[in-house]
Amino acid sequence: MPCYYDLMLYSHCGTKIVKQASNTMWGFLMSKEFNSKLTDLKRYFFNESDVRKFIDFLMTKAEVIAPQTKGEQSFAYNVVKNSSDVALEYPRTMQPLKKYFLPPVETLLTFKMSSNEFSEEVIEAKKQIFFGIHSYEMKGIHLLDYCLGKGKPESNYLKRRANALIIGISYKPDKYHFATSLGIDIEETEGFALFFEKVTEGYLVFVVTDEGAELIKDFSGGKPIDEQVNIEELPQQAKIKYHYNRLPQVFEHVYNSRVWDHFADKCVGCGTCNLLCPTCYCFDVRDEVGLNADDGKRQRFWDGCMLNSFAEVAGGENFRNKLAARMRHRLYRKFSYITKSSGELHCVGCGRCTRYCPADISIVEIINSLIEDYSAQQKKQAV
Amino acid sequence: MLTNTTEMKDLYYPLMSDIIKVEQLTATEKRFEIALPDNQVLNHKPGQFVEVSLFGFGEAPISISSSPTKTPAFDLTVRRTGKLTDKMHELAVGSKLGIRGPFGNGFDVDFMKGKDMLFIAGGIGLAPLKSLIDYTIDKRKDFGRIIIVYGTKHPSEILFSNEIEKWKNLKDVEFHMTVDRPDDNWKGNIGVITTLIPPLEINVENTIASIVGPPIMYKFVLMSLNSKRIPDENIYMSLERRMKCGVGKCGHCQINHSYVCQDGPVYHYPKAKELEEAV
Ligand SMILES: Cc1cc2nc3c(=O)[nH]c(=O)nc-3n(C[C@H](O)[C@H](O)[C@H](O)COP(=O)(O)OP(=O)(O)OC[C@H]3O[C@@H](n4cnc5c(N)ncnc54)[C@H](O)[C@@H]3O)c2cc1C
Ligand code: SF4
Ligand code: SF4
Ligand code: FES
Repeated sequence: MPCYYDLMLYSHCGTKIVKQASNTMWGFLMSKEFNSKLTDLKRYFFNESDVRKFIDFLMTKAEVIAPQTKGEQSFAYNVVKNSSDVALEYPRTMQPLKKYFLPPVETLLTFKMSSNEFSEEVIEAKKQIFFGIHSYEMKGIHLLDYCLGKGKPESNYLKRRANALIIGISYKPDKYHFATSLGIDIEETEGFALFFEKVTEGYLVFVVTDEGAELIKDFSGGKPIDEQVNIEELPQQAKIKYHYNRLPQVFEHVYNSRVWDHFADKCVGCGTCNLLCPTCYCFDVRDEVGLNADDGKRQRFWDGCMLNSFAEVAGGENFRNKLAARMRHRLYRKFSYITKSSGELHCVGCGRCTRYCPADISIVEIINSLIEDYSAQQKKQAV
Repeated sequence: MLTNTTEMKDLYYPLMSDIIKVEQLTATEKRFEIALPDNQVLNHKPGQFVEVSLFGFGEAPISISSSPTKTPAFDLTVRRTGKLTDKMHELAVGSKLGIRGPFGNGFDVDFMKGKDMLFIAGGIGLAPLKSLIDYTIDKRKDFGRIIIVYGTKHPSEILFSNEIEKWKNLKDVEFHMTVDRPDDNWKGNIGVITTLIPPLEINVENTIASIVGPPIMYKFVLMSLNSKRIPDENIYMSLERRMKCGVGKCGHCQINHSYVCQDGPVYHYPKAKELEEAV
């Protein structure tokens, strides 16, 4: 086969090793079938100019949203105007993708105070293509699908989700990512229609779903390839000391740990870690009235459990007035509370809460300190 | 599951309803009788709540203070404490307000059948508890003794004076009350609500205690019920938390893993005990 692209790293045959973990009482965490066997998927090779052309092609099909640089070292998802603006390699965007499905401000009803008339906001069913999304981000969306879809489903969110086509891309971990520590591989493809894997001179494009196949079929660039490829795993620097399926067990034992006070001492309660988290979805609802003092909107706003007033009620009682209690609540929502019903961890290891915390609080350090505390307890008990 | 009057529409879609009666109960509390449109029935359980809204002033969770045995209209008893509740207090008969719900679990009335009922209400806690008190009085044959213990800070804060007179006169209802601080005309008990509990003569095994009051009250009432040897399994309590959605999404009402708007506001005490943040 002519070697028109460099498969240096990927030259020998083989399949990606599917990691197996021992089963525990939390074994159901592991039950998700590893469906990122890239090696079984139909694939193409794209050089960078093919990729840009493909984005142009996507733009003829629907609105395309992709990461773009926003000044030095800062990336944000935005509607693509020029395929050349799209960042193919980026560590993470500041705001997570959830903003497209659960907007920071969303109108639930519009009303007229004088007549008590109101109407619901109509969500237009417009197709959107999200290009260049990392696997942890996709996982975050899956977790929101669970939280907002269960019980009484959030129809606005679900309508927007139903119209989304998402295309993944691999990433090079920086010191804040720890997604693989939580079982989310860089090449995890669940939820993507297509997946772009960076190789030395371009991208391997894997066709994950029929929708993806349908899309790529009409694109003239790129070259189909047949041979087996072996994707080498890029190590992540930030690591959690235990296998992730042990974390819920750890959280059964650290509710009263001193670790909470230790980290809360530095925390300023700004709520950044909530707002930037791809799996946080708590909200506030407020009525906003226009200048004519008659027309208004009932709107929902992102809210965060780290903010002081989050659990405060009329009369001044605040059920979580200590920062340590709020930080504990945030972490328990990621690793214990929702996990009890979903069977999943609700942190995806994107590293945003650490990267953007003004007090330099690292979630990996918190978790590792809790693990140490837990392991010390276990040792004590064993004696 | 529970009937939700707004189920067919979106989650946040209020049913515009009419205020058909307003009654000033105290300087800060009013009772509103509400009729849903088209004679619809709320179909609530005692202990459930609705989200009340006024456009421009927001929404708030308010307990239904009448029993489901009274239909089709229902009562809300509202203390004025802020944006929405202040505005509500300005409304007269004929005004509209939005209703979503009923929400929450309510009291387990089937489990309570045949039991002696001990009601312990502190302050505005009598409003939610009244839905269950009225229910047991309306279905008198289904229950054993009915004992009501009610405490307020001051005689001027006594809610439902008319009903209280009626309860006092009913032979098969035992009514006890106390105030923390008396005024010149007060002839009854003085002291916190827990002073009324030790003298009660009750069959602890067959008595169900239902408690609703301000957050601070629970600890002390639970301690005195415990010293009376009422088993934890016989205790129910209704808890208040900040709420925004009422449908298990906004996160505000969470006590550990439990959503008060879904799993509560009524908690069986053994369950509440497992929640570290509950009391
Ligand atoms: C299950 C439940 C049942 C309740 N039943 C009654 C009742 O029968 N009668 C009554 O007078 N009050 C009741 N309350 C308390 C009532 O909801 C608050 O007093 C009310 O929300 C205050 O709203 P506001 O806009 O007037 O006050 P503000 O202080 O202006 O409120 C601002 C915002 O904070 C939120 N908030 C403030 N306090 C509370 C609170 N205690 N609970 C939930 N959200 C709050 C509201 O959503 C509101 O949007 C109940 C609360 C709960 C949780
Ligand atoms: S971002 Fe950092 S300082 Fe701000 S609330 Fe979160 S942990 Fe605290
Ligand atoms: S908790 Fe932090 S690392 Fe985990 S998903 Fe949220 S922002 Fe990312
Ligand atoms: S009130 Fe929103 S989750 Fe309970």
